[in-house]
Amino acid sequence: MKIIKDKVSKLSFVALLVTLTAAMFYTPTASAHGEKSQAAFMRMRTIHWYDLDWSKDEVAINETMTISGKFHVFSGWPETVDKPEVAFLNIGIPGPVFIRQGSWIGGQLVPRSVTLELGETYDFKVLLKARRPGDWHVHTMMNVEGGGPIIGPGKWVTITGSMSEFVNPIVTLTGETINLEDYALDNVYFWHALWYAIGLAWLVFWVKRPMFIPRSIAVVDGKADSLISPLDRKIGIAFALGTVVLVMASMGATNDAYPVTTPLQAGLMRGIKWIDIPAPTVTVKVEDATYRVPGRAMQMTLTITNNGDAAVQLGEFNTASVRFLDAEVYEDESGYPDDILAEEGLTVSDNSPLAPGETRTVEVTASDAAWEVYRLADLIYDPDSRFAGLLFFFDEEGNRQMVTVDSPLIPSFI
Amino acid sequence: MAATTESVKADAKEAPLLNKRNLFAGLMLYLVFYVWVRWYEGIYGWSAGLDSFAPEFETYWMNFLYIELVLEVLTASILWGYIWKTRDRKVMSITPREELRRHFTHWTWLVMYGWAIYWGASYFTEQDGTWHQTIVRDTDFTPSHIIEFYLAYPIYIITGVSAFLYAKTRLPTYQQGLHLMYTISVIGPFMILPNVGLNEWGHTFWFMEEIFVAPLHYGFVFFGWATLAILGVVNTEVTAISKLLKKDLA
Amino acid sequence: MSASQSAVRSRAEAVQVSRTFDWMILFTLFTAVLGGYHIHYMLTGGDWDFWTDWKDRRLWVTVAPIVSITFPAAVQACLWWRYRLPIGATICVVALMLGEWINRYLNFWGWTYFPVNFCFPSNLIPGAIVLDVILMLGGSMTLTAVVGGLAWGLLFYPGNWPIIAPLHVPVEYNGMMMTLADLQGYHYVRTGTPEYIRMVEKGTLRTFGKDVAPVSAFFSGFVSIIIYFLWHFFGKWFAKTDFIADDEL
Repeated sequence: MKIIKDKVSKLSFVALLVTLTAAMFYTPTASAHGEKSQAAFMRMRTIHWYDLDWSKDEVAINETMTISGKFHVFSGWPETVDKPEVAFLNIGIPGPVFIRQGSWIGGQLVPRSVTLELGETYDFKVLLKARRPGDWHVHTMMNVEGGGPIIGPGKWVTITGSMSEFVNPIVTLTGETINLEDYALDNVYFWHALWYAIGLAWLVFWVKRPMFIPRSIAVVDGKADSLISPLDRKIGIAFALGTVVLVMASMGATNDAYPVTTPLQAGLMRGIKWIDIPAPTVTVKVEDATYRVPGRAMQMTLTITNNGDAAVQLGEFNTASVRFLDAEVYEDESGYPDDILAEEGLTVSDNSPLAPGETRTVEVTASDAAWEVYRLADLIYDPDSRFAGLLFFFDEEGNRQMVTVDSPLIPSFI
Repeated sequence: MAATTESVKADAKEAPLLNKRNLFAGLMLYLVFYVWVRWYEGIYGWSAGLDSFAPEFETYWMNFLYIELVLEVLTASILWGYIWKTRDRKVMSITPREELRRHFTHWTWLVMYGWAIYWGASYFTEQDGTWHQTIVRDTDFTPSHIIEFYLAYPIYIITGVSAFLYAKTRLPTYQQGLHLMYTISVIGPFMILPNVGLNEWGHTFWFMEEIFVAPLHYGFVFFGWATLAILGVVNTEVTAISKLLKKDLA
Repeated sequence: MSASQSAVRSRAEAVQVSRTFDWMILFTLFTAVLGGYHIHYMLTGGDWDFWTDWKDRRLWVTVAPIVSITFPAAVQACLWWRYRLPIGATICVVALMLGEWINRYLNFWGWTYFPVNFCFPSNLIPGAIVLDVILMLGGSMTLTAVVGGLAWGLLFYPGNWPIIAPLHVPVEYNGMMMTLADLQGYHYVRTGTPEYIRMVEKGTLRTFGKDVAPVSAFFSGFVSIIIYFLWHFFGKWFAKTDFIADDEL
């Protein structure tokens, strides 16, 4: 009977370990990143991402891919979010499924936080190296101090291969090539195990003798002094001296082994270059804007004036990463994620080319299920019911102009 | 574990002082359960737990939350009700051996309380750290919270109150008055749960980042200190057990 | 309860019972203190403890000892005065580090896949042993606070340096200099943890040039002395066995 019991208990323990291991080596398909929960006004009026390109849809372990594009820091930045004086170009992925080999804003490497200027547009690039297999939603993302994460569009990327093959070689300034994935890991384990063993030894030295009840009785009876023997003191001194000596000796040996070390690097990076975009020659005045709840559509009345020297047409309205296009004017060929691309979602009452010098008032409708799916329609419940976005105008030669809009929004429930 | 009341009438000589099987089974119950929970998190945290507006989040996480809340209320009501209902009304007249046996049962409860606190306050609380710092949290009911706040914390609360009730209803030591430190050691960690209100309010109101050492989290710290009150319980217990053993140990 | 009756049948049984209680008390003390200490430590010094790119010469060295001397001081106050057991600090630290290691391995690595060489905990054991031995030798709260508290602060950085030094080797990366620890923080993406929340190398301390860590450790030791006193009293309070009378409830 006892043998069976032992076997059962052993097997249960094995089963426990197997369960845990199974969970650890599971290759998942991760869902999106919670961008939908962010207040619509925050997504519409902070960072606008555009011209995005995910260089690959599928990438093998150890291979790299890039996400590049531009972001516009909206001048109508909401009052409830701190201004991007301290911001960090992050990447929205579920943990280190990729490592971030590099990230650049305006050509400058940005491993640290930066200051961004309202109203300016920056180009950026993030270089990722695949580390953990699975299907992952990879988002652009900007963290703003006092505002939290501001998530941009995400696209599914598949990583193939095995994580055990992942390597992260780095050449140090002392000339060594190391694999950062497991560099110095043995050293970490060694010192922790050694010190833990010393701590345990001190505990065992005391725990192996009768503890609470007899010792309490002795203390209550006034025999407390008898509980610490001269040998205990000697061994205690040995432990304490041994500890101090080991700390000093190991520190000395470490300094000999690593003569060149530097402090952690920190500090804000200012003066990040933005793109010099000429002022648009098209001006837009929002006369009114409504969101029609039943139709999942936003309607704007815009008065557009063309002060340039070429006729233009409205081709795209981009807000909170959702892009509404007028297919007759502009088609997306970048492979932008389907769920946030309404290829025929933009309707303009009169979208004939607007001649230079001409002013026209048009009804513009941006409609797509994305209003609901991406919870942009919740804008009407926000404490500051405004909408904002980017309008892109195109001339016959395909030249593009970006105009920002920012205006109150009235919901219509019927 | 709470069935010793009746043993007053039964032949006390027959029952062992410490029911080791209960002790082992109790420890294993928590261990196996929490390993399963960890497995569930490992799988469904990634696949269904990142977007609280996705239908699979409702299926795997919100339903988990509803079920656990119902089970916790049921377990607490039944367990606490049972311990109270079967209380010993003649607790001052039990034999020393029976008292010793009950101290062992009481310590079985306290071992479970310590074990449950470990899982709640250490394992799942720091685990919450890695989850937050890895993902963008989009709901109060993010998977790690559904486990930490609404499962592991209630479990140690249920266990702690059970231990307290057992002591109060079956041990002569706790008959008169209210043991201050025992009360603190149960109420303090309990208060961590309502403090979740402050935490979530603060995170939606002004604290957007998941920085663990943020002052917003100090409420948890303050109530965490209350676990030290277990020292007072240990001292009271050692004094009580010493009285029972002193002349035999001498 | 009759005083003439005995709870045990023999002295041997009494010894065995007492020993069984030792283990049960020890287990509960270990796990409960682990829970309380861990939640306290992770929420007052946790970020510095989680990641190598937070383990700097200035704030980590200052904060970690100050916030971690708390529970050791309190548990010492009970275990020493009531039982003459000089293990209060070590038991706390051994418990805390066990809890941390389990988590870093099973969750930081096993759930969110950060390499262990990026998220290992700080080593607190040297200070704990010295704190326990000083209390045992002197039997004095004041001596332990002043000498032990100072040692707690001073030993922290050198006790951890052999573990973190390899990660402070510099590297040139796309035209910038970083330590390997900085690079870990940059490479291994923490989506919910932007770089700017790192509290490292703040302030200048120019006067002291390279000697920032010793100054920080000395300051930390100084505050640890004060915190030790405070928490030793907390410990004594938590060790009380008072009852509130029924009519006062």
